[in-house]
Amino acid sequence: MLRRIARRELVDIVRDGRFRLMAGLVLGLALMSLAAGWRHYVDVERQHEQARRATRAQWLGQPKKNPHSAAHYGVYAFKPKSRLSLVDTGVDPYVGVAAWLEAHKQNEFRYRPVQDRTALQQFGELTAAQTLLVLIPLFVVLAGFSTYSGEREQGTLRAVLSHGVPPRTLALGKALGVTAALALVVVPALLLVLGAISLTSEFGAVAHDLARGTILAGCFLVYFAIFLALTLGVSARASSSRSALVLLLAFWFVNSLVAARAASDLASALAPAPSSIEFQRAMEAELNDQQETARRLAARKAALLQQHGVSSVDALPVNFRGISLQEGEELGNEVFDRHYGRLFGQYARQDLAARFGGMVAPLLSMRALSMGLAGTDLAHHRDFVTAAEGYRREIQRLLNADIAVNSKAGEVYEAGADLWSKVPEFVYTPPDALTVAGAHLLDLGLLGLWLTAAVAFLARGTAALGAD
Amino acid sequence: MLGGDRTLWVVAALLLTASAYGLVNGLRWRAFQDRAIADARAEELERYAGAEQAIRDARGQKLPAFADPGNPDTAGRRRAPRYAVLPPGALAPLAVGQSGLLPGYFRVSTESRETILAATETENPTRLLTGRFDLAFVIVYLLPLLILAVSYSLLSAEQEQGTLALALSQPVTLRQLLGAKVAVRAFVLAAYLTLLATTILFVIGPSALGADGLLRTALWVGLAAAYGLFWFAVALAVAALGQSSAASATMVAGVWLVLTVLLPSALNLGVTTLYPVPSRVEMVQAVREASDAASEEGARLLGRYYQDHPELAADSNERAVNEFAVIRLAVDARVEEQVRPVLATYDRQIERQQRTVDWLRFASPAVLVHEALADLSGSGTARHRHFVAQVGRFHDEWQRYFQPRIARQAPLADYRDLPAFQHAEEPLRAVVLRVLQAFAGLGCAAALVLGWCAIRLRRFSTA
Repeated sequence: MLRRIARRELVDIVRDGRFRLMAGLVLGLALMSLAAGWRHYVDVERQHEQARRATRAQWLGQPKKNPHSAAHYGVYAFKPKSRLSLVDTGVDPYVGVAAWLEAHKQNEFRYRPVQDRTALQQFGELTAAQTLLVLIPLFVVLAGFSTYSGEREQGTLRAVLSHGVPPRTLALGKALGVTAALALVVVPALLLVLGAISLTSEFGAVAHDLARGTILAGCFLVYFAIFLALTLGVSARASSSRSALVLLLAFWFVNSLVAARAASDLASALAPAPSSIEFQRAMEAELNDQQETARRLAARKAALLQQHGVSSVDALPVNFRGISLQEGEELGNEVFDRHYGRLFGQYARQDLAARFGGMVAPLLSMRALSMGLAGTDLAHHRDFVTAAEGYRREIQRLLNADIAVNSKAGEVYEAGADLWSKVPEFVYTPPDALTVAGAHLLDLGLLGLWLTAAVAFLARGTAALGAD
Repeated sequence: MLGGDRTLWVVAALLLTASAYGLVNGLRWRAFQDRAIADARAEELERYAGAEQAIRDARGQKLPAFADPGNPDTAGRRRAPRYAVLPPGALAPLAVGQSGLLPGYFRVSTESRETILAATETENPTRLLTGRFDLAFVIVYLLPLLILAVSYSLLSAEQEQGTLALALSQPVTLRQLLGAKVAVRAFVLAAYLTLLATTILFVIGPSALGADGLLRTALWVGLAAAYGLFWFAVALAVAALGQSSAASATMVAGVWLVLTVLLPSALNLGVTTLYPVPSRVEMVQAVREASDAASEEGARLLGRYYQDHPELAADSNERAVNEFAVIRLAVDARVEEQVRPVLATYDRQIERQQRTVDWLRFASPAVLVHEALADLSGSGTARHRHFVAQVGRFHDEWQRYFQPRIARQAPLADYRDLPAFQHAEEPLRAVVLRVLQAFAGLGCAAALVLGWCAIRLRRFSTA
């Protein structure tokens, strides 16, 4: 019985010209966005890989010079693209791609790709994730809105129920039928994603991203199931197909287009962030605080003299210049941690506040999960920025320690290739899938709540049919 | 005929709420911009006062170059940089447009131009990705959907209730009936737009707007009206197909989706794929390589620099050769020369994208209106490009002021006659011309849809 209901539902949907049009549109757009996403990923990743090799070669190829000159010469950190960015580009276009890692300063990542785009960028990017987030729900709505209401209008619903079909079986059968129709689109789309990902093996093993991809696919299936249950539930309760459709379209619109913007603007009002100039001024005021620098340096000096039991820096077994340079770095690092920490913290609070909007629109939760698992959300950017800054500090420590140990005060000191090669290459490993999932418990929880609520809504709506 | 229609009231309430929220967000953004600009001005004043005080305190005594604000290299690079500011337009609260993505001020110094222009406003990237809920968003996305919500079943509802045949048995034609139905709804739109215009006048104030701003406001609201009428034409065309209400709803939703969401983002994908702009890391590396090579040549380049600029090779020539700052002039000039072709590839690709978009925007009324609304609000691409071009010229002026002084090592006594940036507004005529193109594009699109509609209606059957 169940199978018959499901098959009938599937055949009804697939016969509809609108279904075929929509299916073609979704698949066509998925194919197009993946092809473009793949092309873009491969291009950019090649450029960045080449640049990474070049900046390393430049570092190693430095002539003999004082280590502090080398510290000022510095290296560049170039942001790698995550492989799954070909599915969801996330905030990638809106964050800088390169930062100069030099002495004394944590520079911002500069050159946002969006600065090299036209105003069309404001309409968003057509990514595979966008297709899945926005179009598939619409597809579910259009395929399922008249499932019950249409039959009710034709009078067949009463006939089926009067033949003793349990409403639960009917609901399950119909859900299966719509799911099968949906699978006709979703399965090829997921295969396309898999294909695009497997074409990127030149940038390291693909297996690493499979865990992220699998969780992502699972989340999307839950997201689609929410829409499926809501659509059938509304269809079962609505007085007419027309009102079911209008109600569902309104929800789809709020979910896809209004919620994200409304929540984002609200969140920024709740947790306002400083302007660039405000941020820089506050940070520079602390960095230029000469008194604090002098105080810290004097304390360090006194401790060092006491430790070695000498009365002047010249009697120390190390060159105090190296120590004082490092002390300056340490002081700067505290200031940078405080100010960048506050800025990123405020952004994270904005994002968190906006993610609570997932209570109203499941897209917000799903979008956060999609960007997170694709490695293209703010948290991943912050993680990379922190890693690059950690690398900068490691370089400074190594070079200043070399000055302290190997040079003498008042003498000209130059280091060479030996020292440059002691600085390890910058390797960044993004967090693993479980850590990312752990950071998104709120979104997972909200999606779970939505699914439970939607299924309960459907169950009650269809149970009421039997009671008629 | 509409009074009893609950949908219309719900829709009107939604539209008003969304517009109010959009306007509030726009005003907050405007306040943020004003604050950032005021902060920049204050920072500059404070820095100038400090530097001039330090010059006076030194009283002719020689300070080390890096600490001497009178040293032309130190001044031009670190102590005297000036902000070149793009003031927000009078209608800035109506559309955030590109002003959220592109910086409204640059700190102009003797650094290279690409370094200066790489500056950005600090902002949460998730917020940049999401976009703003401003009035332009309400007009471009929400207004059409609400128009379609009240008019997708112009004929089908009556057809389904069986009242259409009855209505047409009266001495009215189908066209008259449709015209009347649309007229009533368009009246609500007109009321909304009148309210909108009044609110804008009240919130921003006629004096702040000026004659220029009043014209812009009129065009802004006029464009919203034309856009609304285009969507009424779409609703009429769907009605003319004579399908059921549910089928009509699906169809209008589809048309809306394609024109305002899919087509614009597909066009974006198209231009960025057709004319890809290479990642800026290539530029960073090119600059780095060129400056490594030039620094190595250092002193030798200075000789060549003096050959090219004999007027700078004054009496201090010998002394100058040993000066780091003077060598850097020569090095910077060489780097700029070497990097120019690399920068040109970026500009060329962006230019190609922009030219393509200038044509493709006519494919989607949403793109057309979105750009024109931003244009009128002073937050469009053209105004920003106009501004960046001026910043480029100001940077040239800055260099012309400082380079000879660095070369001759002529100290600055104060900062009084340093070049200052004066923003020249894009001529209103240019803006109006672009907006008229948008009107023309919308008009053509509406005329096409209505023409098709008229043909279709002749074959309409009320059965």
